[in-house]
Amino acid sequence: MPTPETTATVDPWAERARAALTRYDEDIVRLVAGRLVKPRGHWPVDDLVERSLAALRNAPGIDRRLKELPPACRKLLALLGVLRRPDAAVGPLLSLLAALGHTEGVQPLLTLFEEGLLFPDLPEGAVPLRAFEGWLGQAAAAGVPLHVFTLPLVAERARGTDLGLPAPPTVEASFTATAREADGLDWPVRMAVVWQQVAAAPLRRTQNHDFFKRDLARLRGDPLLAGPGAEALAELPDTGPLAVLLAHASGLLREQEGELTAADFPPAWNDGLFPTLTCVWTALPEAKGWQPVRGWVGPGDGEDPYPAAGLLCLLLLARLPETAWARPADLEAWVREHHPFWAGRSLPEDEANAWAAPWLLGLAYPLKIVQATTDPDAEGGWLVRLSPYGRWLLAGGPPPAAPPAFRQTLLVQPNYEVIAYRQGLTPSLLASLSHVAAWKSAGAACMLELNAEQVYRGLELGQTLESVMRLLNQHGMRQVPDAVADGLRTWSNKRERIVVYPRALLLEFASAAELEEAASRGLIGVRLTDRLALVSDESQMQYRHFRLTGNRDYAAPPERCLDVDDDGLTLAVDAGRADLLLETELARLTEPLPAGDDGRRRYRLTQATLRKAVSNGFPLPVLDEWFVKRSGEPLSPAARLLATATQQAAPRITRAVVVEVADEATADGLVQWPVTGALIERRLGPTALLVADENVGPLRERMDELGLPADGG
Amino acid sequence: MPPEPAAGARLPVKLHQKVCLVLTEDAVLAEELLARKKLAQEVAGRLTPTALLVRPGRVDAVVEELRKAGHTPQVVGPARPPA
Repeated sequence: MPTPETTATVDPWAERARAALTRYDEDIVRLVAGRLVKPRGHWPVDDLVERSLAALRNAPGIDRRLKELPPACRKLLALLGVLRRPDAAVGPLLSLLAALGHTEGVQPLLTLFEEGLLFPDLPEGAVPLRAFEGWLGQAAAAGVPLHVFTLPLVAERARGTDLGLPAPPTVEASFTATAREADGLDWPVRMAVVWQQVAAAPLRRTQNHDFFKRDLARLRGDPLLAGPGAEALAELPDTGPLAVLLAHASGLLREQEGELTAADFPPAWNDGLFPTLTCVWTALPEAKGWQPVRGWVGPGDGEDPYPAAGLLCLLLLARLPETAWARPADLEAWVREHHPFWAGRSLPEDEANAWAAPWLLGLAYPLKIVQATTDPDAEGGWLVRLSPYGRWLLAGGPPPAAPPAFRQTLLVQPNYEVIAYRQGLTPSLLASLSHVAAWKSAGAACMLELNAEQVYRGLELGQTLESVMRLLNQHGMRQVPDAVADGLRTWSNKRERIVVYPRALLLEFASAAELEEAASRGLIGVRLTDRLALVSDESQMQYRHFRLTGNRDYAAPPERCLDVDDDGLTLAVDAGRADLLLETELARLTEPLPAGDDGRRRYRLTQATLRKAVSNGFPLPVLDEWFVKRSGEPLSPAARLLATATQQAAPRITRAVVVEVADEATADGLVQWPVTGALIERRLGPTALLVADENVGPLRERMDELGLPADGG
Repeated sequence: MPPEPAAGARLPVKLHQKVCLVLTEDAVLAEELLARKKLAQEVAGRLTPTALLVRPGRVDAVVEELRKAGHTPQVVGPARPPA
């Protein structure tokens, strides 16, 4: 059966091990390599690292090394094997070892580090590690949670090591009682619901990874998440926050800058029910901050014993014969006695604080790890044992048979509701449905609804109308009703009506002919204008067919890119500096002209374009500002005249005569002497005087009297 | 006038990168969008009757406003630059 550790390639963990080895001091590398590969000479460090990694890929070699280890070390690696994940936090791992009777503290860790079978999780850029004790001490002093990891093959080979646990007391089940086993879908359904809700509205986390009050209230109150589950035999508190933890730890959600967002469904969800449940199993140790009795308590600083305690209960069950039953309370009693969290504590052990029964019946049972039957000696009580899947997981049992497949399990109703019968539900189908239909209920028959918002979200995530129809028809008991098919088509078409390109690449050609040439060669996608084309996928851009004449970032501020001709109305574009907004601005203010001899695009301001711009929200001050921004000069007088002519006072046209005198002093005299000054309208220049038509005669007479007769006129 | 491009020659072209653009099915739909004040103030210009240039950095707000208006825009590529 594929599991996360066997389906994934070994490389990521080998790379992690390589990174750890390169962060060791040379002496430590030589020490570790000495144990793993026993080099005969003084090999370079790089060689030692590679040979050590090669040794960790050799199964018979690993088996030999495991046999030579002290029991505590073998058990520690076996625990990683049982957890089906090669990494773990140091604290819970040591607690588990202590519960197994090994109270040597960190010594098993140190031994495994030196043997090269376990690696400390060292941060990138850390100073070279000189001593493993130093790492443990420094990190512990700084309050940093420590993690260790091994290679999947090492954990796999160590799985099956006898952990030395006793068999718990067995209880005889009633002769008539039958073993009950869940369908395993409760938690995958909850996690799919969480995924859908987070896809719609990301969840924010506080700095210490707690939920914000409002989100927590929502998770606690959501009927889809907070319900008891169709199959659970015990009610758990705060299943909403727990579902979020499990979804996050198993990869359905990702955290970025304190925000949980929806990721892709892990590949295990496509591999079937058991790989999916194993994916959830590997996430259980990460469910910190949630307790089977109190529910969500938040991520405190102290150790959270419940993931390890639950595992110990299951490991105790693994000691039982296949058909034997045990009482949860007996398992809990053993754990309370041996796990260091409870050992020596005087905690109330009344029924209200009993955590094993809710954990086993509310979590392990719906995950198909345990079977249950009624306890003949206690009313309402249950007995538990490992299921075939649980025995494969924890007791080295054979892989369980995949559940029978019922392909047609959906009923799409004309009111857009989709009933999903659990018999045929698979994790893969859950994932597909969660993309396109909104969850409404998650009982014995799940109910979803096809609505515009969810279908649209599914389309955003890569679904197509065809894939949605195929999904519903393939798994439907009947053909999708016509009304629903029409609705889906309408929503899909509606989505095509508006396309948003957040970071499009536009190609600007110098001429329409060049754009045509590019189009005929199949080099462009969407044609926007006669010179602009859109490339929606930049990775498809074939640069070798183009010669770049410019490259402009849309977000860059606008530049001066217009030259104004002497007429004050003709604008020539500097194509190298022009931006896209210029195109839209020129379209509002000007009319295009044929390109000039220099090849530059030219535009002309006309009275019609300017008046239209002014009336369409481009008032004169804005126009002036735009001119300065684009050409470096204010609006030209000609353009200003065209733009404002209709708003000016009406000009007055009159007849008048210009009198030119010989010099400036004569003009001064004529203007100042009251007899002539009264007859002069205005002085036009140093020697030019403007005289109204009717005053020309009297002025001429006065000038004659002065002995200054005028010529002409 | 620029010379006609020779067949097979590399075509001179200017690139405009990271352009925030909304394309509508028809001009009427674009008008409808521009009639919404909140959308109109995020539009920097109208490249064609069906192509609206969005102010740099405001594309998320535009998508949100389109959704509020009951539209289901197809967003091509990342709405935000990759971290």
